[in-house]
Amino acid sequence: MDKIKHLYGRAGFGLSLKEWERKQQWSVSQAVDELFKQAQTASPFSTPAPPDVAGYLQMSEMNKAETRKKERRLVVLQSVDWIKRMSSENYSPFLERMSLFWHGHFACQSKTSTLAGNQLNTIRTHALGSFRELVLAIAQDPSMIRFLNNQQNRKQKPNENFARELMELFTIGRGNYTENDIKEAARAFTGWSSTPKGKFIFRSGIHDYGRKTFFGKTGRFDGTDIIDIILSKEETARFIVRKIYRYFVNEQINERHVHDLAKSFYASDYNIEKLMRKIFLSDWFYDKINRGSKIKSPVDLLAGMLKNLHIEFQNELALAFLQRSLGQSLFNPPNVAGWPGNKSWVDNSTLMIRLNLPAYLLSSKEVNFKLKEEFEARKQNKITKRLSAAVDLSPIFKQMKGKSLKEQVDYLSNYLLPAKPQAPLQLFERITRGQSPEQATKLLLLGIMSLPEYQMC
Amino acid sequence: MQKSAIASTSILVPAFLKAYQPEQLYNSRSGKILVIVQLSGGNDGLNTVVPFQNDIYYQQRPTLAIGKSEVIQLSDQLGLNPALSPLQSLYDDGLLSIVNNVGYPNPDRSHFRSMDIWHTASESDEYLSTGWLGRYLDSSCQGCQAAHHALEVDDELSLALKGQTKKGFAMSNPDQLKRQTNNQLLKHLAQQPSHDHEENVAYLYKILADTYSSADYLSEKAKTYRSKNNYPSTAFGKRLKQVAELISADTDTRIYYVSLSGFDTHVNQKNQQERLLKQYAEGMKAFVQDLKQNRLLDDTLIMTFSEFGRRVKQNASRGTDHGTANNLFLIGGKLQRPGFYNEGPDLGSLDKGDLIYKVDFRDVYATILDKWLKGSSQQILNKNFQGLQLI
Repeated sequence: MDKIKHLYGRAGFGLSLKEWERKQQWSVSQAVDELFKQAQTASPFSTPAPPDVAGYLQMSEMNKAETRKKERRLVVLQSVDWIKRMSSENYSPFLERMSLFWHGHFACQSKTSTLAGNQLNTIRTHALGSFRELVLAIAQDPSMIRFLNNQQNRKQKPNENFARELMELFTIGRGNYTENDIKEAARAFTGWSSTPKGKFIFRSGIHDYGRKTFFGKTGRFDGTDIIDIILSKEETARFIVRKIYRYFVNEQINERHVHDLAKSFYASDYNIEKLMRKIFLSDWFYDKINRGSKIKSPVDLLAGMLKNLHIEFQNELALAFLQRSLGQSLFNPPNVAGWPGNKSWVDNSTLMIRLNLPAYLLSSKEVNFKLKEEFEARKQNKITKRLSAAVDLSPIFKQMKGKSLKEQVDYLSNYLLPAKPQAPLQLFERITRGQSPEQATKLLLLGIMSLPEYQMC
Repeated sequence: MQKSAIASTSILVPAFLKAYQPEQLYNSRSGKILVIVQLSGGNDGLNTVVPFQNDIYYQQRPTLAIGKSEVIQLSDQLGLNPALSPLQSLYDDGLLSIVNNVGYPNPDRSHFRSMDIWHTASESDEYLSTGWLGRYLDSSCQGCQAAHHALEVDDELSLALKGQTKKGFAMSNPDQLKRQTNNQLLKHLAQQPSHDHEENVAYLYKILADTYSSADYLSEKAKTYRSKNNYPSTAFGKRLKQVAELISADTDTRIYYVSLSGFDTHVNQKNQQERLLKQYAEGMKAFVQDLKQNRLLDDTLIMTFSEFGRRVKQNASRGTDHGTANNLFLIGGKLQRPGFYNEGPDLGSLDKGDLIYKVDFRDVYATILDKWLKGSSQQILNKNFQGLQLI
C-alpha cells in the first residue's frame, strides 16, 4: 500500500480517492504496467492558430504590447489546462509527469501559445521514447530556437547560445567539452531556424557547410551529427540519469544505482521508457529513505490537490495566480536551467501559502496576497482576496461515514500523507470537537492537508 | 496565551517587550544596515542623470530629452531629472554618490534574465539559483539566526535574498503577515517541539516556526516608532516608511529590500518615468530625514539599481527600448566619494547604439559585502573583485 502511494506520487500526481480505493492493494508490477500502458495514448493539446506576424510588425508599440499581453494570457491558460490534465482521471498521469520533467529539463520561455503548445506536444510525443529523438526534436523546436537565439545563428556570424546550453544543460553537462567544441557545434546548427508562423525551417543559405572539429572528430557535421556525437559519450547517459534520479527518486544520489541505470540506459540507446520501468520496478525505489523525501513542486502540489478534492475554480486564472505566487509558472521557467527545485521552492512566503491553501479552499480563508508586478505591467497588481472554488467532498464523506475520529485520521493520513504524521490525535480532537459528522470530517481533512507532511511525496 | 507559547519556543530573547527609548537607540548600533531599492523594468538612466551638455543626447532624443534649463544641474556636465528635485539637498549635503556606467560584460536585454544576473551576481552566461545576499547569509553572516535578518518588504521573496541554506524573510506589512499566520492549526504546529523528522520535513517545520516567531517580533517592533515624515502615499512610499520605522525601532534586521516597478517605458515615457522618479525621490528624502532624526544615517547605506538602462536613441513611440549600462545611486552618511563617483557616459562611443559599461556591478557588491557587511566577497561572488572607493 505504501509502495503504491509512493509510485503514484512520483510517477503521477497522487491518486483520487476513487483511484486510491481501487488501486491501493495492487502489486507494484500491476500498477507499473498500467501506468506505462496508459501513457501510450497521448492525445495532443490543441494549439491555437499562430498570431499574424506581418500584422504585428505594423502595429504601434501600444498595440504590440496589447498583443503580447493577450498571447501571455493564452499561454497562461494553457498552463492551467495542463495542470487540469495532470489531475484528471481520464489522462495518463505518468505521461504528464514525464512531460513535466522534460519541460523543466528543456526549460524554455514560450512567447506565444502556438509555440508553447507545439513544444509541449513535441515533448509529449517523445517523453517516453528515444532521448536521441527528443533532443533532435527540441533542437528543431521553434520556441527553443527563438529562446536560445538560434534564429541569429548564421554562417560567419555564429551565435553560440543554443550549442552551449545543448551541452551544458540538456545533454552532457559541464566539464565534458571545451569552448572550442561549443564554437564548432554552433557552426553545425547554423541555419536551423523557424518561420514567422512558428514552423521549423532549415535555411541552407546561412548554414555553414564547412568542416568542423568536434570532440576530436572532424567532418562536415550538421546539428544531427553533433547530437549523435554527444550521445556517443557515456557521460551523456550518466548526466541524464543523474537528473532523472534526483527528480524521481531522491535528491541525494546513490552512486551505485545511478551507475547501473546509466549503463543500461546507454546500452538501450537512450530508451527512456526502459529506463523508467527499471527505476519503478527496482526494490530500492521503494526504500524508506526514498519515500516522502521530496518536497512537492508547486505544480505537483496543485495537481495533487485537484485530484484529492475535485476542485473547480470560479476564476479560470486562479491556478495561474497560484502557480505564480508559489514560484512555478509553466512555460515560464526562471531561465534555461529550469526550476532548481527541492528546498528552493520554500521560503516563509511560499510556505504560508502552501500550508494555508487547504484553508483557502475548504473554509474560504482570505488569501490577501499581492504578486510582484510584471515588468511590462502598467497597472498595479491587485491583491487577491479569495479563491472562490467548489470542492466535491462527497466521495470522502461517503468513505468516512460511521468511522470513529481515530479511524478517520488513520484513513486520511494514510491516503494523503507519505508517512504517519507526528501531530497528536488530541490536536485533531480539538479542531473537530462539537462539530457535525460531515463538518468534523471536513475539518479533519483540512487539518491533515495543512500539515507540512502533505507538502512531501 | 498563544503569544507567550510562541515566544518561549523562539530563540529570540523577547527584548522587544521593552518600550521604545530613543536615547538608547542613538549610536547604539553594532551592525550596519543595508537597504536595497530596486527599480524594476529598466529605468532610463539618461533621463535620470542627464548629460545636459551633450549634443548627441539631444540629437538622439528629439522629443524625449530634458531641456538644459529644466535639468537640476549638479556638475558642469550632469544633472538630475527635475522630478528628482528632492534629491538635490541630499547631493548638496554629501549624502548621495552617483556611479555612472554600471553594468556587466555581454549584457542581456531581457528583463527577467538581466534581473536574475543582478540578483545572483552571475556571469551573463551562467545560471545560479542563489542570490548574492542569500549567499552572504549562508556563508558570512555568523550569528544571524533570526529569519528576518534580511527582510524584503513585499509578499514575495526575491532571488537576491535566497541562499542555499538560509533565506531572507518576506513581509509586505505586519498586518498582512498576521493575517497569513492567523491559522490556529499552523500556530499550534509551529509551537511543537521539533520532532525526529526527515531532513526536508524538518526544514519545513523550521521555516514554519521561524515565520511565527518573526511575525510576532516584527509586529511588536513595527508598533514601536511612528514616522512623522511625509512619504508618498503610494505602496512604495508605505513600504519605505515601514523600513524607516523598523530601523528606527532598532529591529535586529540588517538588510532591507524594497522595489518600485513600472520603469519599462517603451511608450510615452516622460510622464510615466517622472511620476515614478518623483515617488522615489520624495520617498528617499523622507527616509533620510527619519534616519537623520534618529541619528542612524551613518549606520545606513542605501543602494538603488535597475536591471538595465535604455537605448540612447528614443523610439518611434516617444519611449525608449531596453539598453545596457546604467547609473546606480548610493545614499548614506558614510560615503567616501559623495557626488559623482566617475564620469558620465560616453555617447560618442556606443556598442550598437548602447552604452558601454565601465563599472561592473559586482565591484559595487564586493565593496558593500567586504566593507559594509564585513563578509567575504570573494567567497560570496566566487571571484575576486577589487571593489571601489565608495564607502
